[in-house]
Amino acid sequence: MTLRKWLLVLSLLTPGIGLIVAFIGVAVYIAAAQSFGYYNLAGESSFSLEFWDRMLDRKVFSRAVMYSIYIGVISAFLSVAFAYPLAIWLRKPFPGSLAIGAMLKAPLLVHGLVVAFLFINVISYHGILNQLLQGIGLWDEPHRLQNDRNAIGVLILQTWKNMPFALLLLTGAVQSISDDVLNAARDLGAGSFDRFRKVIAPLTVSAMQAALIIIFIGALADFSFQVIAGPTNRQSLSQLMVFFKDGGRWNDAAVVGVSLMIIAIAGSALLAAVSRIVMRGRIA
Amino acid sequence: MLKTLILSTTALAIGVSASAASDLSGMSWDDIVTQAKAEGELTWYVWYLQDDLRRAVKSFEDEYGIDVTIPEGTSAGNAEKLIAERNREVGDIDVFAWGYSDFETVDLAATFSPLKMLPADDGRVSELVGIDGGDFVLAYWGNQTGIAYDPAKVSADNLPQTPEEFAAFWSENPGKFGFNYEKGGSGPSFYQNTLRSLTGVDFSNGEISDGKLAKVEEGYGFFNDNAENYVVTASNADSIVRVSDGELWMVPAWEDHLAGLQKRGEVRSEIKFYIPEMGMNGGGNGIAIPNNAPHPAAAAVFVNWLTSADTQTMFNRDFGTAPMHAEADDSNALVPNDQRANRQPWAGQPFRKAVEESFIENVILER
Repeated sequence: MTLRKWLLVLSLLTPGIGLIVAFIGVAVYIAAAQSFGYYNLAGESSFSLEFWDRMLDRKVFSRAVMYSIYIGVISAFLSVAFAYPLAIWLRKPFPGSLAIGAMLKAPLLVHGLVVAFLFINVISYHGILNQLLQGIGLWDEPHRLQNDRNAIGVLILQTWKNMPFALLLLTGAVQSISDDVLNAARDLGAGSFDRFRKVIAPLTVSAMQAALIIIFIGALADFSFQVIAGPTNRQSLSQLMVFFKDGGRWNDAAVVGVSLMIIAIAGSALLAAVSRIVMRGRIA
Repeated sequence: MLKTLILSTTALAIGVSASAASDLSGMSWDDIVTQAKAEGELTWYVWYLQDDLRRAVKSFEDEYGIDVTIPEGTSAGNAEKLIAERNREVGDIDVFAWGYSDFETVDLAATFSPLKMLPADDGRVSELVGIDGGDFVLAYWGNQTGIAYDPAKVSADNLPQTPEEFAAFWSENPGKFGFNYEKGGSGPSFYQNTLRSLTGVDFSNGEISDGKLAKVEEGYGFFNDNAENYVVTASNADSIVRVSDGELWMVPAWEDHLAGLQKRGEVRSEIKFYIPEMGMNGGGNGIAIPNNAPHPAAAAVFVNWLTSADTQTMFNRDFGTAPMHAEADDSNALVPNDQRANRQPWAGQPFRKAVEESFIENVILER
């Protein structure tokens, strides 16, 4: 292509790419620059590695990184793991399948904060779960379930909220597999598990990767579930970022924010590669 | 249509600039009130209890015919807006509420208008917990942290007063005392005063030094040794809800927060409140008028109303606040006046932030 044609292509792409550069690029640039000492709202602005240096030494930061990765990865896998059997079950329409599908997707319409507060009410010390388990004689006294140390509450909330999204993506992918393909596999002696492993999984791997990555990024950056239902002895990266920002330490907050972006990109690539290798047995 | 739009926008812009630029210092109070009524509206940036405060300002709106808009927003968000638009000729904020100690973080004269135009009233409070608001800031909301407790479980005659007595309570009643370390200042008030009491460090001085922080760290053993016996809650509200629910017996809380929730029937009215002898932080919120307020006269009339004895009595009755006017009635407070002697000023910044960060790292993450 000639330079002229390249310019034409670029100018035609500008409305799309231009918006991305303007809205995402500028925000990323400011965050990255702030993490190196620029755009300091309260003090002097100049290049400095001090903020990264200090942050990487902090125990609170390394723990937040590990904790956020834990929440991101487990939430993504649990959501996809629950969504797959449901997507396969709903592949062929049956009486009531539309209603079931709609109900399963209902969590998409409920805001995370609402769910978190409802969840806290259900599991609270004198909430209905404690009352039920005492009522049926399983527990003698109420148990403290709120803000549990292993973040089981957060994982339940993340899976509840994100599973419908994975279901939405996987249902489309599973439904696009024709009956002929599955019947052929059956004729060749493939059982249910083999049909999933050798036919359905490889053909839906792209949708699964998309679900895994999008859920991972969202859960990695979780703030609302964490501050309401998360363990009080752990902080997520978003929580840590807000902590610094509220103290007027924008440069420290930017370091955490940029770390969050780097982990999101690197983690997504890793998840995509691993899932492709596992589901297809190869990279390409 | 376009012409009408351009004309009305221009007229609005000129009108707003003219009102913002007007100087109230040479005007009599009656003239200011007249101008305020002509302005007809104001925006009050306040970060808490917005719904209740919208109801509370109804009497002002009825009396002066001036509409008060209270936007949603957090304290940090409002402060960022104040700072971001300080160089605009005309801003959006008419009246700005902030924690009294937060006013120390900005140059008052460069940010706010002097309140000399208000009618003389010696009962108003402009100096609170060691911070002098001068001509620029007036206190309008007195608040106090302390301990909320369930009198059915804890005897009022045997309330813990010192760190050692709290530790004894924790050992005797494991899992019945909880405090938050974020999302609200009541828990931080508790652990910071415990640390102050244990180590003797001067928290009111905001200076940071390695020696001072090392001395504070000596107090962390107290919390780490007793870690199994107390609970860390998620927020101020979470603490109060759990003591009302009967799960916890004692939690740090804000006096006005507790009183407001009790008044609305959201928390059991039996829950009591006290300020331990080791001291807990108290102070209040202040109010100021930004230099570029779009409705300066309406803002001045509103500040005068807000800081009056009548309004302060109403706040004490409806919100349980400590009145910020010498002639106001404080008979609805949750604590007797003699306990207010235990009030401690908040730790100075940036020392307070440094302690909070260190506490999270060395106590909370070690649990």
